[in-house]
Amino acid sequence: MLVAELEFDLDVFSGPFDLLLTLVLREEVDLRELSLAEVVIGYIDHLEARGELDLEATTEFIVLIAALLELKSRLLLPGEEIDELLELEPDEAAEELLARMLEARRYRAAATYLGQLITLAPAVRYREAPLPPELRRADLDDAPPGIWDAASLGKAIAGLLVRPPQLDLSHVLVARVSVAERIAHLRQMLRQAVELSFDDAVSGADRMTVAVTVFALLELYKRGELSWDQAEPFGEITVRAMKRPAAGARA
Amino acid sequence: MNSDLARTLEALLFLSSDSLSVEELAEATGAGDEEIAEALVELEQAFAPGQRGLLLREVAGGYTLASDPLAEDAARALLGRTRHGALTPAQLETLAIVAYLQPVSRPEIARIRGVNAESPVATLLDRSLISESGRSEFGAVLYATTSLFLKVFDLRSLEDLPDPAQWDATDEEAGELRDRLLAAGEHRSGATVE
Repeated sequence: MLVAELEFDLDVFSGPFDLLLTLVLREEVDLRELSLAEVVIGYIDHLEARGELDLEATTEFIVLIAALLELKSRLLLPGEEIDELLELEPDEAAEELLARMLEARRYRAAATYLGQLITLAPAVRYREAPLPPELRRADLDDAPPGIWDAASLGKAIAGLLVRPPQLDLSHVLVARVSVAERIAHLRQMLRQAVELSFDDAVSGADRMTVAVTVFALLELYKRGELSWDQAEPFGEITVRAMKRPAAGARA
Repeated sequence: MNSDLARTLEALLFLSSDSLSVEELAEATGAGDEEIAEALVELEQAFAPGQRGLLLREVAGGYTLASDPLAEDAARALLGRTRHGALTPAQLETLAIVAYLQPVSRPEIARIRGVNAESPVATLLDRSLISESGRSEFGAVLYATTSLFLKVFDLRSLEDLPDPAQWDATDEEAGELRDRLLAAGEHRSGATVE
């Protein structure tokens, strides 16, 4: 079945598709009032009813509906000069057109005048050569060679290329202590004594080292190398080596 | 024998390809405006038509030397080209709009002419009759006429251009045009109803 022969029953139109197209193009059906979604749904219904997809007919339909959509969007979107004129009442449009024609007429006449002027102008010629260099106040084209040292360009870029001085970060606390170091430290102490006080393990150390040592304790506890007791909050922590060191523990 | 100042001005005019204003001449020579004006009168007499092969002309906001039209044929033979090529009606129309409404943008020129102005604007720019002169508040390039325009049309300044209102349609003509437009409109709307 040809797309053109498809019957549609729409709000503003009822009949075959080709008649709809004709009426739209002759502006007897207002495209702005025509629901194109309805047309598409109608076509999909038709496809379902047929139960098979005629590729050629469907393609034709898509092309037609796309053209209608474009046409409709142009009608709906204002901004084009022609549309502006169409929106005006005939009288207004005529006045607008008249104003433009009168304005154009003025400058067309001015153009004619200029055209005459150019033929009336005396047949004289003027010097076209530019001023000789020595008369110019300043012109780089004619600057004597070497007035600027090329090295000055190098200097200019060199300032940008110099590596900035290293920032002094001594006032910033940098973590210089690692968990591995503190683990080694604890193992060393536990080798000398079965039991030790945490305070002894971190005597004289800064806060960062104390904190890292706590991590080392937790790590060694996890590995089963030690355990500890604390009688009360903030009280002394007693660290004890476990009897059986973990296999593969480093010395 | 002319005064030293008159001869100095003659030399400056000979050397310069641009028209030189009284101010520029005064600044270059250190003379006062009045002395310059007197010296120019001297030069005008010295270069009066028929005296020399050059003429002293006041054009494009200043004074300049020009060849006597007497020499035009020989000059064309020597230089092998005409003074300036003819301008098409579209170029003249565009130039007229720029001359009267400057600075003016290309869209504005197109609006008045009712046709795209790209090509004539490009040609006029190419021939240095107009040049870019800033931007409109909407960012469109604005165009103005150049000193070459004044020279080609033999104008001392833009004020030498006549009032364009003189070419406007009379009320009678405008009324006639309006009637014709309305008649055409009715004819058209009648045609679509059929």
